[in-house]
Amino acid sequence: MSPTDSQLRLILNLAWRDFGHERIMSACFVLSLSAVLLPLLVLFGLKFGIVSTLTSPLKEDPRYRQIQPAGSGRFGPDWFEAMAQRSDVAFIVPRTRAIAGTMRLRAPEGNTGRIISVELIPSGPGDPVIDGLSEPDGFERVVLSLDAADKLGATAGSRIEGIVSRTWSGKQQTELLPLQVTGVASAGAFARDGMFVSGELLMAVEDFLDGRAVPAFGWEGTVDRGTPRHFSGFRLYARELEDVAGLRTGLMEQGIDVRTRLADIELVQGLDRNLSIVFWIIAIVAASGYGLSFGSSVWANIDRKRREFSVLRLTGFRSRGIVWFPIVQATMTAVLGWVLAAVAFFAVQAGLNSLFAENIGGDQAVCRLLPVHLLIALVLTLLAATAAAALGGMRLARLEPSLALREA
Amino acid sequence: MVKSYAAGGAEFRLTIPRLDIGRGTKLAFVGESGSGKSTLLELLAMILRPSASGTFVFRPRATGESHDIAAAWQSADPDSMAALRSRHIGYVLQYGGLLPYLTVRENIVLSRQLLHLPAVDAAEHWAERLKITAQLGKRPAELSVGQRQRVAIARALAHDPTVLIADEPTAAVDPLNAERIMEVMIGLVEEAGVTLIVASHAHNLMRNAGLRMINHRIDAEGDTLLHIEVSDVAD
Repeated sequence: MSPTDSQLRLILNLAWRDFGHERIMSACFVLSLSAVLLPLLVLFGLKFGIVSTLTSPLKEDPRYRQIQPAGSGRFGPDWFEAMAQRSDVAFIVPRTRAIAGTMRLRAPEGNTGRIISVELIPSGPGDPVIDGLSEPDGFERVVLSLDAADKLGATAGSRIEGIVSRTWSGKQQTELLPLQVTGVASAGAFARDGMFVSGELLMAVEDFLDGRAVPAFGWEGTVDRGTPRHFSGFRLYARELEDVAGLRTGLMEQGIDVRTRLADIELVQGLDRNLSIVFWIIAIVAASGYGLSFGSSVWANIDRKRREFSVLRLTGFRSRGIVWFPIVQATMTAVLGWVLAAVAFFAVQAGLNSLFAENIGGDQAVCRLLPVHLLIALVLTLLAATAAAALGGMRLARLEPSLALREA
Repeated sequence: MVKSYAAGGAEFRLTIPRLDIGRGTKLAFVGESGSGKSTLLELLAMILRPSASGTFVFRPRATGESHDIAAAWQSADPDSMAALRSRHIGYVLQYGGLLPYLTVRENIVLSRQLLHLPAVDAAEHWAERLKITAQLGKRPAELSVGQRQRVAIARALAHDPTVLIADEPTAAVDPLNAERIMEVMIGLVEEAGVTLIVASHAHNLMRNAGLRMINHRIDAEGDTLLHIEVSDVAD
């Protein structure tokens, strides 16, 4: 260890002893720091809690991230490929024309015996609406909406039949499709009778209805012209709420008119932004006021103790080392003040949350901070306190030691 | 060497034409308060920057290093002077100058810690010599003024300095106590072969203690200028 290091260690120890010796004064510093920090923590906790409470339904419900085409268009495979590559796109599948978008269903095993007509919803791996369910795949595996499943009396694992009919070559042709229900979507996923199906099944149905041949099922018809298939629409979900606006703009620029829930998103984002501005104005005013008051008390303290500092200089401590004395004490004040404010914050938080528990949903909180917020508060407090102390320390370094020595 | 400074609207000037202090000398600067004794001691302790300086050399031992203090001030090298202070100088202030947050024991060994000298038994040794053993665990605030001065002397001597500088070490205590403290201090200084430099206004006390005396002369020039000359001491 170099002499400078050990001198510094001695100074740190002396600063600590002085802090403990003047424990009443130190406690006052710590209390006054907590008194400024606590309301800021509560204020930020409220802002964060309220915004989180408003944002979480938006975040949890994938429909807020959906971007729907307003009319029908013509989208080729290249377009879908390019869209799927975008980092702000979570999920995109082609949608066929509306006329090919329905199918009748019946459940031979079910007890209702009803035949219902369902909308076909193109789906696939990563569909956010049926997240967590075994996804539709191939020509058989499908997911039913809750309404459809209820009407058919079907559950996950049920076998059902799809019925499709067309008039071809002057004759009525009806075909039965054996289907397996791999899951039933939640009530919020689709509010009407619907069935989530793979793209393959959807295209097969469209081909059948259009009078084309479907070799996989052995259905006859006109043979495909060999041109790439185009789709009239799509199901598109942005990855994050924040991505919706950008995607919407991009699609509009391509001349594709879309509908989004952007207004709802922007309402919450605007509230977040405005509350943040209010919070930071209060925080900056409070922090600069506290910084000035802390800085001036450090200053006054150095003045009060200048004889002791001069004695240290006289004993042979370097002035460079002595500068650390107020900085160490400021660090201790900051850490203790922060601990006190954090403990008090948790008490206030518990009180506020139980007070407003009835107004908001179960696991939501009106006042909430993440551990990282408390850490940031600690870092900012340390920075402010040590900066104020360092200014006092500079004064200390310039102090004429001999004048202070003669005072009683 | 000249030190001038302004305070309370008055200008003061201390002039030291020539001053040699030999090793082992026991010396007292005697004069009125305000005559610049403290200033002189602080210049010698290398803690006060001289306004102008000719030769200022510090040779702590008969053989060995010689330190050019005038050059150190010139080149703004406070660290080298801080190192010299911690190694060679013990300083006793009029009001003790003990650190209130340390015990007597910790105050005494502070200068040893700074030099990495073993601190074990050192406090006990000096406390015994200065008759403050019972006070070792106390804080300075619990001591009488006389006890504090004894602790200050113990601290100033604990790291085996070559020079002991004492600024009015007994001015705050009663005359009887003052004599006893001077007696103990001189005994310890003689035993260790330490050079002693005291500043005091107590002429008789210094003379009775057997110190070599130097009187400050004050020449009034106008209203505000103090001019002090220190006569030569060759040893």
